[in-house]
Amino acid sequence: MTDIISTRVADVSGDEAMDGKAPLRRGYWSAVARDGRRLGKWFVAPTVILLLFIVVFPLAMQLYLSFTWWTPLDGVRWYRAFESFNAGDNYARLAVDSALWSAIWRTLVIMVFAVPAQFLLGLGLAYLFVDQFPGRKFFYSVLLTPMMIVPAVVGLMFFLVFQGTGPFNHTFGLPASFTWLTDVHRAMLSVIIADTWQWTPLMFLILLSGMLAVPPDQLLAARLLGGSSWQNFRKIILPRMKPVIAIALVLRSVECFKIFDLNFVMTKGGPGVETETVSLYLYKKTFADLDWAYVGAIGLVILFVLSAIAASGLAFASKKAKG
Amino acid sequence: MVRPSPGALALKYALILFACAIVAYPLLWMVTMAFKPYPEWTTGTGMTWFPKNPTLQNFEFIFFGHAKGAVVSLDRTIVGPLIASIVTSVCGTALAVVAGTLSSYAVVRYGILSGLPLQVLQLRLFPPLAVMIPIMVMWAFLGAGDTWWGLSLIYGIVTLPFAFWLMKTFFEEVPIEIEDAARVSGCSHWRVFYRITLPIVAPGLATCALFVFIMNWSDYLLALMLTQKNWMTLPVYMSTLTSAMGGQMYGVKSALGLIAAIPPVVFGLLIQKHLVRGLTFGALKQ
Amino acid sequence: MSSITLNRVTKRFDQFTALENLSLDILEGEFVALLGPSGCGKTTTMNMIAGLDEPSEGGIYFDGESLSGIPLQDRNIGFVFQNYAIFTHLSVYKNLAYGLEVRRLPKSEIERRVRAMADRMDLGKDLDRPATSLSVNELQKLAIGRSAVVEPRVFLLDEPLSSLDAGFRAYMRAELKVLQQEFGQTMIYVTHDQIEAMSLADKIAVIDKGRLMQYGSPLAVYDDPANRFVANFVGSPRINLVDGELRDEAGRRSLVLNGGGMIPLSGGVDADFARGAAVHGGSIGIRPQDIYFGDRRADDDIRLTGTVESLERVGPRRLAYIRMQEARFLAVDDRDELSVREEVAFHLVANKCMAFNLKTGERLRANS
Repeated sequence: MTDIISTRVADVSGDEAMDGKAPLRRGYWSAVARDGRRLGKWFVAPTVILLLFIVVFPLAMQLYLSFTWWTPLDGVRWYRAFESFNAGDNYARLAVDSALWSAIWRTLVIMVFAVPAQFLLGLGLAYLFVDQFPGRKFFYSVLLTPMMIVPAVVGLMFFLVFQGTGPFNHTFGLPASFTWLTDVHRAMLSVIIADTWQWTPLMFLILLSGMLAVPPDQLLAARLLGGSSWQNFRKIILPRMKPVIAIALVLRSVECFKIFDLNFVMTKGGPGVETETVSLYLYKKTFADLDWAYVGAIGLVILFVLSAIAASGLAFASKKAKG
Repeated sequence: MVRPSPGALALKYALILFACAIVAYPLLWMVTMAFKPYPEWTTGTGMTWFPKNPTLQNFEFIFFGHAKGAVVSLDRTIVGPLIASIVTSVCGTALAVVAGTLSSYAVVRYGILSGLPLQVLQLRLFPPLAVMIPIMVMWAFLGAGDTWWGLSLIYGIVTLPFAFWLMKTFFEEVPIEIEDAARVSGCSHWRVFYRITLPIVAPGLATCALFVFIMNWSDYLLALMLTQKNWMTLPVYMSTLTSAMGGQMYGVKSALGLIAAIPPVVFGLLIQKHLVRGLTFGALKQ
Repeated sequence: MSSITLNRVTKRFDQFTALENLSLDILEGEFVALLGPSGCGKTTTMNMIAGLDEPSEGGIYFDGESLSGIPLQDRNIGFVFQNYAIFTHLSVYKNLAYGLEVRRLPKSEIERRVRAMADRMDLGKDLDRPATSLSVNELQKLAIGRSAVVEPRVFLLDEPLSSLDAGFRAYMRAELKVLQQEFGQTMIYVTHDQIEAMSLADKIAVIDKGRLMQYGSPLAVYDDPANRFVANFVGSPRINLVDGELRDEAGRRSLVLNGGGMIPLSGGVDADFARGAAVHGGSIGIRPQDIYFGDRRADDDIRLTGTVESLERVGPRRLAYIRMQEARFLAVDDRDELSVREEVAFHLVANKCMAFNLKTGERLRANS
């Protein structure tokens, strides 16, 4: 490391060093370059500006709009939305909006089936990959591929696969009339399968890294004490993986709640509204009904709830991981 | 150190191969579909995995707008959306990486805005749709709808948190002694950052850039909402492709899907080592 | 408790032979130290007894039964790691109980044995605390206790005391000995510290470069080393070894040293060299404690002269480095009268001199 220091420093500090040159070179930016705190402030500036104007401001705008009846159809600019002020009616409305709650319910159903499935499959795969074996690197790369495919493309793939006349039915000997994407019961299942296909590798990746962090010495000691693989897994590996498991579950659950690309491309929410998740519902309301103030209210509520859950989950997990 | 029994090893390979088969299943179907000529798109003539008459017709079609044997043509080729995807992904990546790198360095080294990390973290966790309305309004107001810079801008912002967190972990791994040694020799803070620290984290920077690029390239929703004809990106183009005849264009869409899928897969394999770090906001390192 | 037999065990890792034809017969209840420098193969031997690895050739037997093919967890072996490998996410109680729990013993039985072991290890009050809250010394006791509580038939310890501070190390040595005598377990103890081996073991197996150099009681290994390596490795301060050529002039044998100088042979060492008639190059080994100054004490003792090069005080003793032409001797200055650069006469106790074949390193003995 010292050789890095010496060569880089020698390389850099030559012309800049205190050579007594005239103060002509000491302009504003030179001063900034020398002062850590000022430089730091400039460094942070782009991010802060972006966040302020593109996050804080829109959020404020949305909050404002959510208390009105405004839609773009009104013909007035948004900042005059106060003209149709409604003091919380949107919020009251969303509480009883059965279409919204159905969408939430459907989203939760997908989550409840997809996330545990991905977790268990990922855990099983991770367990297979803990020890070294010939070809491990190769198979590892192969099995990670699904999560790197553009989600819309995954949607297309499964759209093709689940056609009545498609390969899936063919493989399982089902007739062409056994539809998936247009069947009331099976549409959701096909979305769940697609989501699982795509994201199990992510669970696999995260859980494997957690498993590998278990000190191998301790595992060895456990085996020498007579523990079988399953016993050691239960008593040593799993408990030590708790923070990693928490992170994986929280991250995946939140992302799963946001599911859009897959079901939009596969079924457009259909048949009917069978696979209409929250995101799809919001999309419909935004572009079809143009009910923007209402969508704004819903958006804020979801934002609030999800952020709270995710932040607390991750904070818990990070604390456990470091402590 | 401990060898598994041959039976256990065989079972392991069987399970892994089975998993690989599941991975390959839909991929293979789409890939082969991309090379199937029009009559084979549906299974009227019998179901086959591999095309009976493999052809590049679909690719010709999307690149040139017409092809031998196809009676219809497209109103636009892949070229526009492809450029759109590339331009917006690259620009969005540049924005996110530059802003994220600079600000994470400031947080790590100068302790600026230590409350920033948590707020920035929150950013990624809410559904974009939840705040799309004001974004759309603002974009319309700025005249940013259906422009390359409008989409790049939102891409940059949305992926900024990832870039921030990823670079933060890389900066934290640079020993401060190196920077101190440079400072002691007379370098200004800026020089230390630019000539010493940056080169050290260069691999991490590359990883971050590829990571963010993958995320931008894979976006669907933002492009769907903020672009129309001129700057429609590849994934949106792929899913909304219709022909004058109203047919399903399976082969053509598959070709598009194949092309769209390749860059993220290639880049993803390159940055495989750092995937866990990026995906968990630096909470875990691989 | 089992007897352990290693029968011509050989272990190869690709091109490298870690162990060659190692044969050991360890009796039931014996405390055996595997002693040797780093990389000599003692840990490899241990790993194979434990089942972490299989020998390339040869076999290992517990009580006459072959171990090959029996997996790790079924060998009922106690293993103490150098870095303890304590389950850091569990409490002290849970650590001790682990081996019993995986055997599905009834809870009351587990509790009884764990408490008994904890009391004996003086960890009784710490049972509910997390294992990570213990000090280094307590961790070592926990590691031993955890393995001991399942009452294994064989106990393997891999340099377990090397990370402890010196005072505690002496204490733990005593504790281990008591433990072993009480349980009567067969213990195999890997160490590079010969003092530890000498004080703890019933028998020492000295290993170098994968070969067994000598296997015997500590006294045998110390007083009667089988070859030059053992003589050199065992004994503190280190034995003096000088090399040269044997010369026989008119019935008087002497060792002409390579660097000049000559040692006339007499007494026991003379007889030893006489036995090896075909031997031309030889070494003499003499321990520093067996060199004295002043008047000759026995007729056979060999008298030499040299210059005092330096003096060093080690604890209560003073050590003198004597130079005789190119050869150097380390001696204990029992009279405390020497000064540096003094020309002095010193004597080698003839019966304590050891003769070695220079080429093979083998010990030459008159009555072998």
